[in-house]
Amino acid sequence: MIHPETIKRQRLIIFILVFLILATVIFSLGLGTSQLSFSRIIPVLLGQGNFNENFVLFSIRLPRLVITLLAGMALALSGSILQGLSRNDLADPGIIGINSGAGFAVALFFLYFPLQVGSFIYLLPLVAFAGALITAILIYFFSYDRNSGLKPIKLILVGVGFSTALSGAMMVLISSADRSKVEFISRWLAGDIWGTDWPFVLALLPWLLILLPAALYMSNRLNILALGNSIAVGVGMRVEKEQAILLAIAVGLAAASVSVTGGIAFVGLMAPHIAKTLIGKRHQLFMPIAILIGGWLLLLADTIGRNIFQPQGVAAGIMVAVIGAPYFIYLLTQN
Amino acid sequence: MQLNENRFHFQLDLISILSIWEVHFILLKTKDLNVGYDDTLVVKGLNIEISEHKITAIIGANGSGKSTLLKALTRIIPYNSGEIILDGQNINSTDTRELAKKISILPQTQEMATGMTVGELVSYGRFPYQSGLGRLTKKDYEVINWALEVTGTDEFKYRSVDALSGGQRQRVWIAMALAQETDTIFLDEPTTYLDLAHQLEVLKLLDDLNKRQGRTIIMVLHDLNQAARFADYIIAMKDGKVVKAGDPEEVISASVLKEIFNIDALIGRDPITDKPMCVTYNIINGGDKDEKNYNNYADTASGF
Repeated sequence: MIHPETIKRQRLIIFILVFLILATVIFSLGLGTSQLSFSRIIPVLLGQGNFNENFVLFSIRLPRLVITLLAGMALALSGSILQGLSRNDLADPGIIGINSGAGFAVALFFLYFPLQVGSFIYLLPLVAFAGALITAILIYFFSYDRNSGLKPIKLILVGVGFSTALSGAMMVLISSADRSKVEFISRWLAGDIWGTDWPFVLALLPWLLILLPAALYMSNRLNILALGNSIAVGVGMRVEKEQAILLAIAVGLAAASVSVTGGIAFVGLMAPHIAKTLIGKRHQLFMPIAILIGGWLLLLADTIGRNIFQPQGVAAGIMVAVIGAPYFIYLLTQN
Repeated sequence: MQLNENRFHFQLDLISILSIWEVHFILLKTKDLNVGYDDTLVVKGLNIEISEHKITAIIGANGSGKSTLLKALTRIIPYNSGEIILDGQNINSTDTRELAKKISILPQTQEMATGMTVGELVSYGRFPYQSGLGRLTKKDYEVINWALEVTGTDEFKYRSVDALSGGQRQRVWIAMALAQETDTIFLDEPTTYLDLAHQLEVLKLLDDLNKRQGRTIIMVLHDLNQAARFADYIIAMKDGKVVKAGDPEEVISASVLKEIFNIDALIGRDPITDKPMCVTYNIINGGDKDEKNYNNYADTASGF
C-alpha cells in the first residue's frame, strides 16, 4: 500500500548513493601520504602495479576503505533499528552503551593487562565487543519491566545513565595512567579507524553478512512496533521476543563495528535521520538508504580526516561529528 | 412417520424457545479475574460473560478498572490470577498470532502513526496472516480494499494518516481492525476526542458492523447515553468490580448510577431511540442541593 512513485524514488536514491560511494572509493584510493596517482588506480587494481603500488593499495588503503564502509553501514543499520525500537529519533548505538561499554573495556584491558603488541592488537576487538555486549545486556535488564515489558523511554534513560557512568569510570581509569597509553585510548575513543588490516575486515564482514539481511527481513515488524505495544500485540506480534531479537541484531552490528573502528558516534544517529527525511519512516524503504548513507558518510569523513593535518590526520569519528553537527543544527532549525 | 413428525415439532419448539429467551453463545467469560499493576489490584475477582454477535459496553468512573479490564481481556497486559476464556479456550494458552485472527483491538491512544499512508496502516492488520517479509498477497489486497470501503476511507488510501481529521483517523483504525478479519473487535473509548457528529459516525459504523455482519463488539465507553443507545449489554464497574451487568434498561437506572458515579441521576427516555437516558444529574455529596431544574428537565424529556 505504498505509492508506486515512492518506490521509484527509493530506487533512484539508492542508485545515486551507490554512485556516490563508488566515486568516493576511487577518490579515496588515490589520496594519501604515499604517492599513487589516480591514473594508476585502475591498472593496479587489475594487477598491473609494481610492488610499491600494490603494497599501498592492497595493504594500506583498500582494507581501511572496506572497514570504514562496512562499519558505517553497520552503525547506520544499528541506529535505524534502535530508533525504531525506542520510538525516538535521537537514539543511536551510543544509548545502549555500545561506545562507552566498549571504550571502558578497552581502557581497562589496555591499562591493566600487560600483553605483547602482536597478540594485543587482535585481542582488542574481542575485548571491545565483550564490553559493548555486557553493557547492552545490563541496560536491557535494568530497563525491563515484568508487567509492561521493555519500555522505550526507560531503555533510553537507563542507557544514558550507563553511558555517563561508564564514561566517568573511564576518566578515573585514564587519569591514573601514563601518558603514552592515554594517547592510544583517547584516539580509540575519538573513533580513529585503527583496525586497518584484512583480518579486521574478516572479523567484521560475517556480522554484516548475517545481520544485515536479518534486519531487513524484520523491517515490517519494526513498522508495527513503532505503532505502540497495544497495536503490536493486537495484530498478534510476540512483542518481547521481537524486541529482544532486534535489540540483539543492533548490538551485534554496532559492537562489531565499534570494536574495529573505535568509538564512532554520529553515523548511527545521522544516517537513519537523513534517510527518513529523504523517503519517509517506513523501515523497508529507509533502512537500505540509511545503510548506504552510513557507509558513504564514514568513508567520506575518513577520507577527508586522513588527508588534512598530515601526517596523523583527524579521527574519522571526529570528522563525522564535524560534518554531522551543522546538519543537525540545520535539522533542528527546520522543525 | 408419526414419531418423525413429533420430533420435527419438538425441534421447532426448541428453536422458538431459544429465540424467545434469547439464549446466546457465550463468547468470552472471566473467572475470578484479578488484574493489577505492581501490588495494587485494579480489577478484583471479576466474573463476567459476554455473548457472541452482541454489542457490549463497559462503563464506570475514571479509575474503575474498565480500561484495565479491556487490556487484560485482549492480552495487552498480563493478569495476576483467575481465568479468561475465549471461545472455550484460555487466552494464555492460545498462540498470540492465532488469537489475532479471532480478536482485534483498537487501543485508546494511537498517536504513533506519523508519516504513514492510510492504506499502509490498514495493511498492518494483515500481519497475523503474513509470513516473514510482509509481502501482501492478492487476498490481502482484497481484504484491505474491502476494509477501506466499509469504513468509507478508500478515498484516503494514499494519503498520510496525519492529514486526516480525528473522525476520519478513527475510521482508519477501525479499518485496520477489520483487515484483521476477526469476528470480535475490542475498542477502548473509540469516541474520545471526537466532536459530537464524529462520535455518532463511529458508533453507527460499529453498530452497522454488528447488525450486518454479526461481529461482536466489546467497548469501553465514557458516555452513558451512547452506551444505552448502542449496547445490547452493559457492564457497569466500580473499584474493579461489577456493580451491575445487563441490558440498558436494567443498568441505566438511578440506583446503579448512584453507586458507580456517586451521582443523583434522572433517567428519562431518548425521544428518538426510546432507550433509557440520563437526562440530568447532580453530585450527591457536596452538590447543589437546591437545584430546582430537576422537574423541568423531566417534563421536557417526557414531553417529546
